[in-house]
Amino acid sequence: MYLEVRNLTVLYDRAMVLNNVSLNVEKGEAVGLVGPNGAGKSTMMRAITGLVQWEKDSLKGTTKGKITIEGSVVFNGEELINVPAPRIAQRGLILCPERGRPFREMTVKENLEAGAYLVKDKRVIKDSLDKVYYLFPRLKERIDQVSGTLSGGERTMLSIGRALMSQAKLLLIDEPSTGLAPLVKQDLFTRIKDVHGLGITILLVEQDISFAFDLAPRNYVLSQGKMITQGSPEELLADESIRRTYPGL
Amino acid sequence: METLTNLVIHGLLYGGMCAILAVGFALIFGVAKIVNMAHTAFYMVASFIIFIGVSRVGLPVWLASLVSILLTCLLSVICYKLFFERVKHHETAVMIISVALAMLFQEIFLLIFGGHYHGIPALVKGFMDLGVVRISYKNLFALGFSLITLLGLWLLLSKTRLGIAIRSVAQDREVANLVGININHIYMITMGISAGLAAVAGAIVAPIFMVHPLMWMQPLVMVLAAVVLGGLGSIKGAVIAALILGFAESLVIFLIPDGSFLRGAVSLAVMVVVLVIRPEGLYGVVFEEERL
Ligand SMILES: Nc1ncnc2c1ncn2[C@@H]1O[C@H](COP(=O)(O)OP(=O)(O)OP(=O)(O)O)[C@@H](O)[C@H]1O
Ligand SMILES: [Mg+2]
Repeated sequence: MYLEVRNLTVLYDRAMVLNNVSLNVEKGEAVGLVGPNGAGKSTMMRAITGLVQWEKDSLKGTTKGKITIEGSVVFNGEELINVPAPRIAQRGLILCPERGRPFREMTVKENLEAGAYLVKDKRVIKDSLDKVYYLFPRLKERIDQVSGTLSGGERTMLSIGRALMSQAKLLLIDEPSTGLAPLVKQDLFTRIKDVHGLGITILLVEQDISFAFDLAPRNYVLSQGKMITQGSPEELLADESIRRTYPGL
Repeated sequence: METLTNLVIHGLLYGGMCAILAVGFALIFGVAKIVNMAHTAFYMVASFIIFIGVSRVGLPVWLASLVSILLTCLLSVICYKLFFERVKHHETAVMIISVALAMLFQEIFLLIFGGHYHGIPALVKGFMDLGVVRISYKNLFALGFSLITLLGLWLLLSKTRLGIAIRSVAQDREVANLVGININHIYMITMGISAGLAAVAGAIVAPIFMVHPLMWMQPLVMVLAAVVLGGLGSIKGAVIAALILGFAESLVIFLIPDGSFLRGAVSLAVMVVVLVIRPEGLYGVVFEEERL
């Protein structure tokens, strides 16, 4: 097992955002995680990459609420639940956050350089940069543009590019398609497939299940903090409980 | 003509020194959200270290200045580790601690050296004769050094790996984590750079003005005003605002006879007016830290 999340529970004060959830990803796989608004998908991604723990630590000494996190996250045979976020990134477990979140006042180039922060070898940086330019020619055209002025689709591309610069081995992508026009979405998903084609394992969070099902042969369904079921798109589409969580299906 | 030239030189000199001080203050605030009221106290400490180095140890001025800058950086990093680090998420506590630190430094130097003014010999002597006016080389040197320092800082922030990391943390701490940046480490380094800048300002003005345990207060007002005028969190804004304030204060000194006691009022007045008319300053940054 490449990534193994076991019995992960996250509480914000007394609100249980994740309730004993588990999930596995094999090396080289593309796995989907779907679920309605507020299901806890982003929280799960943040917990896996150490951000919930970081947020918890940063509440120390303040009068704000309290965060509880329990369970286990094993990546490549190593327990990560108490490993600080920057070290998790160093292991190649990289998150592309919702809305891309580029460093807004920096140019596209500088954002990619920030992604390569931990990479010492100049040759590796150059190779990754070529890869990013090859996958996303749009980024190359806009190399000196301040990233705060990029379109939504370009921001997502930049955050994937940044993750590739960080030498992602397992890429967690949180709702890349939010707010994009259908054609742009389609194009972006072709790119994500290309990234997967490079041998990078992908865990994709999506609300738009048609895209998740298109990319991932295996999907998890999260609702109200609980993992309801998992299976292939066909199995899930045939499942009654899915129709209840996703009335629009 | 002579007054005008003097005004320009004094304005540039004072404005440049203010800019270096303000930029350090803005830097640590922008990166770590630390409102460091002890910032100009580091400038005072640095000036005293130079004074001690020159008058007590007998070092040449340039060496004393270098030692002073290094020691001040070290002192600030120690202060960060001892006092700021554990409360770094509690902005009010950080500010109160910084005020206490400033008072502590002031009292220490008052106890040892009393409330006297101390002079430091200039690094370079002599004048440049321009016919109408004579410009002292020490002023020219100070001016050049201010410029080089600001340029160096700009290069550091825009061209180096460390600079990219510092700016990443300033813009989005959460995402900085995701690219593998150790935020606490960057806070500490930035604290050192910020205090180092204060020390450079100290080294620049120590031979021109006098060294005194209370010398940090008036520049602190100016720095706060510059940061408000420039826009909280904006480094470019802080530099430009500090130059404007430096000139404004020089104007008051040169144009109002016996008006130098009014110069402190200029900064305060500017700060109040800006807060009323345009609270976001010249280059205001909107402070919303997004979540994922
Ligand atoms: N820092 C926080 N403090 C308090 N509650 C939080 C916090 N972060 C998330 N929550 C709550 O946890 C629940 C799950 O949020 P999360 O963002 O993980 O959902 P999501 O599945 O990603 O939703 P979306 O599809 O809208 O992105 C929400 O009810 C949210 O209000
Ligand atoms: Mg979400």
